[in-house]
Amino acid sequence: MRSRSKRTIAFLAIITAVVLSIAYLLPIYVMITTSLKTPYEITQRTYLIPSTDVHFENYTKAFSLIKNAMLNSIIVSGTVTVISSFFGGLSGFYLSRFRSKFSKVLFILVGIALYLPYQAILIPLVQFMAKTKLALTYAGMIMSYTFLNVPLASILMGTFFMSIPREIEEAAEMDGATKRQIFFRIVSPMAMPGYASTAILVFTQVWNEFLLALTLSTPSTTTLQVKLAEVKGSFVALYNLQMAAAIIGVIVPIAFFLLLGRYFIRGILAGALKG
Amino acid sequence: MVLFHCPDKISQKIRERGEGSKEPGSMRDKILNFLVFLLPLLLVLIILYGMLFWTFYISVSNWRGTSPNYEFVGLKWYRMMFRLDRFWVDVKNNLKWLVVGVGPTLFIALLIAYLLEISSLRGFETYIRTLILYPAAMSFIVTGTVWSWMYQPDRGVLNTIWRFLHLDFLQSGYITDPKTATYWLVLIFVWQYLGISVIILQSSFRTTELKEMIESALIDGASRMRILFQVILPNIRGGLLILGGLLIISALKVFDIVYIVTFGGPGYSTDVLAFFMFIATFQQHLVSLGAGLSVVIFLMAFIVVVPYTVYAFRRWFS
Repeated sequence: MRSRSKRTIAFLAIITAVVLSIAYLLPIYVMITTSLKTPYEITQRTYLIPSTDVHFENYTKAFSLIKNAMLNSIIVSGTVTVISSFFGGLSGFYLSRFRSKFSKVLFILVGIALYLPYQAILIPLVQFMAKTKLALTYAGMIMSYTFLNVPLASILMGTFFMSIPREIEEAAEMDGATKRQIFFRIVSPMAMPGYASTAILVFTQVWNEFLLALTLSTPSTTTLQVKLAEVKGSFVALYNLQMAAAIIGVIVPIAFFLLLGRYFIRGILAGALKG
Repeated sequence: MVLFHCPDKISQKIRERGEGSKEPGSMRDKILNFLVFLLPLLLVLIILYGMLFWTFYISVSNWRGTSPNYEFVGLKWYRMMFRLDRFWVDVKNNLKWLVVGVGPTLFIALLIAYLLEISSLRGFETYIRTLILYPAAMSFIVTGTVWSWMYQPDRGVLNTIWRFLHLDFLQSGYITDPKTATYWLVLIFVWQYLGISVIILQSSFRTTELKEMIESALIDGASRMRILFQVILPNIRGGLLILGGLLIISALKVFDIVYIVTFGGPGYSTDVLAFFMFIATFQQHLVSLGAGLSVVIFLMAFIVVVPYTVYAFRRWFS
């Protein structure tokens, strides 16, 4: 009886693995083969069969189209990640260590802000950035994304701080340490994996964000996603170029995911479970 | 009782600097704590909530065109919104997103997560988790670009495959067929969120109490399916609530997929509130109408966020 059910499970597992493999590998396979073909080959409907005649020049062309936008995205996402993680650490420490009525109210406000649809603040934000001319520089985007990501970073960091044993802090407090010394010298160094998770999550989120980027960016600050959408729109039939650009565009987050997957998953879990 | 001691170097430094007015508990210490730990978060919250109220205010003003107009006109733009055909198409489509996007994702994720837990096939779990989680690192713009090509009716991937396999009856217009287009868009969403859903559910399986309950149910000879529905399901309500909330909010504010794959078309058959909000505000310059739509989106998300936040609050402060 047991062994029969074991065999059933193994059978189901194999079926699941096959189905999911097709569903999740086919798009990647399609991306790669299409990106190496000529438009003519694509019209022949044989693009799914890889040929020996590979066209890497699609990649050079795609890269030259998106390289400025990619640089903008690196600057914006990188800066936002550093600032948000830093402020997120400070706020997360407050939310997890200072217990008062006020911090409870604050937690509720942060919790709601965490899932605020961007639409709810988009119009004032764009209006403000346009009026102050900040929209013309990186500063406008960096500020906007920072506002929107500090709540997430705070909750994530707070969650990680909660899992750190208090004894060390209590000992330091007895020695007369201030909260700030405890934060910067004891808790933060111990929460480095938490910072890594937070940073990866914030970076991916900002890198992939589209709505705000679309409405806020100017030609000189266009981010990668906006550019990719533009490439798709202006080279309608050139699927090879679209796919090559898309592949270049996902290299950075996919590299994070594959190399630091552990932190990525921990971040998703901490963000979803909020404590 | 002090269980741990500060590393000597640190505590020595702390003692050297810890003299005078910076002492913990002093007024200066409290002010510094406020400035360092609280002020940044407070500023961010004031800005975010300030902008939220600003959006509310714009929705009851009379702002059309490119320059702001804050003349108060009450519910004028809401009344107009409710009269618009397009608004109700959007509401219906958003409901489709909720029904087709959230339920099936939860269900499939539950089955996969359970299978991962009970299967002893070596490498199976790592492989599946990597396989279905990688789309979480990609943007909707990228997945939308790829899936547009999959769906392309004439030369696209899926129809080419069906033709090749002589399964021509499976061919479809996909995103060009106004009747079904939205569902094909939702499929992209399901595809992309499945991985996250599985790992969240898996982590909610892994509490000690639940493990013990499953053990004893197994000893009693309960079948695997019965265990899933009668033991596990009632005991992971927290995890389901969290995941359900996450999926609902994501499905409610969906914009990128619609923008990149169909741009709301054909006609406005795949339009959703978030997309209409963008068009109304930034293309038609009916800013007050756009703000009204934002308020609607916010309120719908708010209904979901509240129980979710209450739940998180209880856990956080317990």
